[in-house]
Amino acid sequence: MQVHILTYEEAQSLIGVQFIPDNYFNPIQDADGNWIISTEEVQQCSIEWVKLLPLITYKPITPPDLWQE
Amino acid sequence: MSFLVNPYWYGCGDADANAFLTAAGITDATISQAICTLVTSMKANGTWAKCSAIYPFVGGTATTHRWNLKDPRDLNAAFRLSFIGGWTHSSNGALPNGTNAYADSFLIPNISLTANSGHLSYYTRTNSAFTSEIPMGVSGSLGGTGFDIVIRRPGNTNRFLSSESSGVTGIVTSTSTDSRGLTTGSITSSSSRKIYKNGTLLNTNSSTITWARNTFSIFIGAINISDNVTGPNFYTNKQCSFASIGIGLTDGEAAALYTAVQAFQTTLSRQV
Repeated sequence: MQVHILTYEEAQSLIGVQFIPDNYFNPIQDADGNWIISTEEVQQCSIEWVKLLPLITYKPITPPDLWQE
Repeated sequence: MSFLVNPYWYGCGDADANAFLTAAGITDATISQAICTLVTSMKANGTWAKCSAIYPFVGGTATTHRWNLKDPRDLNAAFRLSFIGGWTHSSNGALPNGTNAYADSFLIPNISLTANSGHLSYYTRTNSAFTSEIPMGVSGSLGGTGFDIVIRRPGNTNRFLSSESSGVTGIVTSTSTDSRGLTTGSITSSSSRKIYKNGTLLNTNSSTITWARNTFSIFIGAINISDNVTGPNFYTNKQCSFASIGIGLTDGEAAALYTAVQAFQTTLSRQV
């Protein structure tokens, strides 16, 4: 899966910003510590610099499910 | 005296349905009819009164999907959804990307639900076994006090969790080979926690516990792990076409909820 990488400053600037009406960006960190946003956010937004963000392969942070029986 | 008639208004005789349609700005005749029938059916079968939040996901945009049918005010206190991250909104519902998409319901079990009485339901059109998903819920910490449902993971399992502080003592699991349809979890007493699929009881956990209701809000599309470290996590990729949160449902009410929701989805031509 591909996601868009951005700097810490770019990620912070998108917090609280809507990429479409009533749906906000959610920059998160991947397993390597990169700040990323999803292709869905980039494809639906109309912010030019966001649309130019490079793609990387997504490495999720997946914590253990400690609720397993 | 003259009257101005809106030719696009197809509201029904139910004030709650009309309030939702007005808030969402929906005038489509088919959607209006579907909402009207859903409300009147749920009032007739007793499930309306059991719900604090009902999300029908109609209209095809985040702006129309965010409203709570039970209380369509534009307020966190009315449990109006806030969509965060990579959702795709369409006439079939709200599709989270399984990466960073969730919605905050602002509904806190410790405030809005009652002792040993709660339910969660989630209707999805997606058939997937998604690794480590928790499509709806809240927890105080990883493995801590939780209230959530899992619809289908690899290994074809689902679960409903309404735990005491030790985490897993309130869990009820079952087999899930097809995630599509309405998955419902309900706790109705200290010794009754059940999981249902399309209104049919799958399994019961009858051990006696005291459900520790969480003090943070329930998320849809992920679980809210409110430990100030983890945050939203266990994202799902399952499209949501209906969800509800409320006090516990009996077997009969779980079946009646499914009947009403499936009729609603059929009217919208998006049933599975």
